[in-house]
Order: sequence, then C-alpha cells, then structure tokens
Amino acid sequence: MTTNAGSLGDLQRAFQDYLFKSSDAFQTAVRDTQKADRVTLLDVYRDGYTLRLIEALTTDYPGLMAMAGPADFDHVARAYIAAHPSHHPSVRWFGKGLADFMASTAPYNGAPAAVEMVRFEWALGEAFDSLDATPIAADALMALPLEAWETLSFTALPSLRRCIFEYEVAQAWQRRDEVEPGNLEVARAEAPVTWAIWRPERVSNFRSLDADETLMLDALVAGKAFPELCEAVAPFTGDDQAPARTAGLLRAFVEGGMLAGFSSGAPAG
Amino acid sequence: MCAAAIDFGLGLRPEHYEEIAASPGRVSWFEALSENYMVPGGSPMHWLDRIRRDYPMALHGVSLSIGSIDPLNERYLDDLKALADRVQPMWISDHLCFTGLRGLNMHDLLPLPYTGEALNHVAERVSRVQDRLGRRLVLENVSSYVTYAASELSEWEFMAELSRRADCDILLDVNNVYVSAFNHEFDALAFLRAMPRERVRQFHLAGHTHKGSHIIDTHDHPIVPDVWTLYAEAVRLFPGVPAMIERDADIPPYEELLAELDIARSIAADVGREVAAPVRGAEG
Repeated sequence: MTTNAGSLGDLQRAFQDYLFKSSDAFQTAVRDTQKADRVTLLDVYRDGYTLRLIEALTTDYPGLMAMAGPADFDHVARAYIAAHPSHHPSVRWFGKGLADFMASTAPYNGAPAAVEMVRFEWALGEAFDSLDATPIAADALMALPLEAWETLSFTALPSLRRCIFEYEVAQAWQRRDEVEPGNLEVARAEAPVTWAIWRPERVSNFRSLDADETLMLDALVAGKAFPELCEAVAPFTGDDQAPARTAGLLRAFVEGGMLAGFSSGAPAG
Repeated sequence: MCAAAIDFGLGLRPEHYEEIAASPGRVSWFEALSENYMVPGGSPMHWLDRIRRDYPMALHGVSLSIGSIDPLNERYLDDLKALADRVQPMWISDHLCFTGLRGLNMHDLLPLPYTGEALNHVAERVSRVQDRLGRRLVLENVSSYVTYAASELSEWEFMAELSRRADCDILLDVNNVYVSAFNHEFDALAFLRAMPRERVRQFHLAGHTHKGSHIIDTHDHPIVPDVWTLYAEAVRLFPGVPAMIERDADIPPYEELLAELDIARSIAADVGREVAAPVRGAEG
C-alpha cells in the first residue's frame, strides 16, 4: 500500500472519496484561489457527479418521471446513484439496474407500477441500439414447399424482448408527454400480460401478446419447429385449428418485423 | 477526385443527423463521441455509418481514463479499436485526466496532479494505448476547477513534456485553456505558447458558464468573444490546425452551429491575411 500522502494513487483515491461524500480529506490536497475557496470549487465536481447521472436517468426514464414527478424522481435517482456507482465507460448503461434496485428497496418497492415502468423503458432502450438484423419477408415463407414446414424453425430479431406486466405501463408510457410530471396514472391490468418489445427498423416497437401467442413465441425463440409451435397453441384452439392459428400468428410476427430468419431441412421451392 | 481540406468541423450529435445527411458539404469533418457508438447497432450506428460515407471523422472519447492508477480497461480498448476499424478516423482523441478508479467511472474529466510521478505514469500508459491502437493518441487539455498543492509543474509544462516523452499529439481546447486560466489565475497565452507546434493536431471551441468566482465548462452556450480572441492567437501560433465546435447541452438548430462555425472561419481567414500581408508586400 502506498503511504506517500501526495502520491498519485492517494490523491486519486481521496478525490473519488470526496465525490462519493465518504471523506472530505481531499480538501487539504487542493488550493483556494483569490476568487473562490476550495470547497466551492470542489463542489463543481461533487455536484456535477450526481447531476450528470440524474440527467442520464432522466433521459432513460421519461415514463417514470411522468409518474413520479421531479421531486420523487430526484429522490429515487439519488438513492440509486448512492447505491450503484457506475462501472461502465458509457453513461448509457448506468440506469440498467434501476428496476431491480427499486424492486428490492423501500420505499420504492411499494410502487410496483413504477418498477414495471422502469423495466419497460429499459427494454425499449435496449431494443433501440441492439444488434441489427433485417426482418424476413412473408414472400420467403410462402415460397417454401409444404414438406419444409415439418422442420421449419425461426430466429427472432436480436432486439426482441418479452416482459410480463401487471400494470398497463405500455399504454401509460404513450401518454407520458400529455400530463404534468407526477400525474401519469397507471391502471392495473385485469391479469398479467406479456408484451413483446422489438425494433424492426430504427424505431422500437411494442405490443401485447395473447396467451397462446405468448407460448408460441416462447417456443419459437427456443428454436422449436413449426409442428411444436402448433402444439403450444393447441390447448387454446384444439388440434384441428392449431395449424391455422399458428400460421396466422406467424404471419403477424413476420408482418410486424419480429423475425430475422428461418431454416428448414427442405429446400425452398 | 480531390480531397477536401480538413479545416472546420462540428461534433456529431443525434439532433442533427438528418440535416447533416440531407445537406452534405456544409462542414468539412465531424467529431464523433466514441462511447456513444460503442453499442451493438440501431439508430446510432446507422447514422454513424451513413454520415461517415460523406465526411471524414475523428473519434473523441471521454472514458479512456489515461491518468488513472487503475489498470487500463482492456475491454474498453477492444471496443475503441473495433470502432476505429469501422470508422477509420483521421485520429483518436481523449482527455488528459482520470475518470475514476477501483473499477468505477465518475463520468467526469478529473484533473491530475502535475507531478513527475504522474508524468511517468501517464507517459507509460499513452505508449501502451498507442501500441494497442496502432496510431498516435491525441490528448486534450481539460477545464479544471481545482489546483493540487502537490503539483510540481504547470499544466502546459506537463502537456508539452508528455507529448514529447510519449510521442502523442495534442488536442488544444481553446475554451478549456480560457476556463482554466480564469479559474487558476494563469496566463492563457503562456499556455498556448508552450505547446509544441508540431504536436497540436486539433482545436476545440465551446461555450461555458460563468459563475463569477469561477467558470464551468458546460458546452451549453455560444462561444464568448474572449475565447474567439484566444482562438485567433491559437491560429497565429498553430496555422492550419483543424478546429471544431462542441455543443453538448441546449443544442441549437444545425444552422445556428454552422453560423458559429463561420465565425471560426472568418477569424482564421483574417489571421491568414495578417500573416500573408508582409509576403504580398515584398512581392509587390
């Protein structure tokens, strides 16, 4: 361990501790000027650290701001900043842990709709700059011979995320700019609903999934072939109607730009 | 096809992507913030590639943390190298500072003590980064608000010696010189004059916020007249060095930044005429 009080390492540790407000010792390492005392000057860094991270969270979570309002948003942001210093070179990723923090920390865990809003907004952000892929076109599937469907499987867009929400956060998020901050109401859904969030081109998209659609998409993402996708749907439709319903759901996925590819043991016709 | 001169540029900001793509040729180059494009894909990478097709680019980072006592962040360097391979930038710059230690990032440009120990430490790390990137690094002077009692050198002595010892180049931020000169009560011209002429690769210009007893480098205002005056001195000392304007908050319309860039062009042209005048007189 370095013992020289003026060493580079000691000064950097003291500076960082000062920003974290865990020690004021760094005040003795810097000088007053004729115009300003050292505490005023150090506050530029100490205040700037917190304000910069609050700004990053404000950018990531406009829906939470609309629900909570500036004062409560500031409260949760400062608590998160204190508990979760940034480890990533880009401030883009700083807010990643906010939902888990709120879900596990009082008093924020008493607002489950707000936690869900944060999860939704982070998923939107992840979809926004996730890996690119070109969605497949319906024509490509139509050209497949009938026997190809026996082994046909699909890959979803890398941006596809699925989230289960008990509150209508996606609907509320669309109203985030229509209300004064703090006044965004989020209703509880009749039952938990699975939402798909993805980015077909450069704009993120989202929609709710029916119960059979959810199970089918789960099977699709797991790499199951078309017959197994039908099996996922069958409990809802009966065996006779399952292939038609599955084909219809697939078409909706394709037209929505959610699928990036497919493969089959049989050649295209 | 003739290569256009790399003279006056702007920082690449999402607010202006569409206008930049729709009206090529209004500036000669862009500076992209490296960390904003260390993402897998989507809109940021689309626009980066799209605009790179029309313009030369420099990459400018904020998280290299060249002065930190932490080990160099190898993953960050991998990402930076991958981005450089994609963009093929004219140069890669970052700041003479540290941004955190113990694996943390404070997302601020924290000044270093200007000591012999720090000089040795930074020079060795610059050499390693340059080896890794396969090119010279360009390091920028930061705006700072505190002076270490332990400093043994002035900031300009430190930068000049670092550039010689580590064989790196200098991004001379004229606004930062102005801000730090006010905050630490030194002569801004002395700073400029101490920079090794052959090492100054780029100028930064930006606005700031004056708090009376100190100035904060906020990049949220137009450039003030005193900084333009200092820029004219910089052009006299380092003719032909490319300049660009940084704006990171309260970002104005693209046209407004283009108009501000015209001021830089006009100042550089005036200085150029001053320098050329005696020669023309001799010819006459």
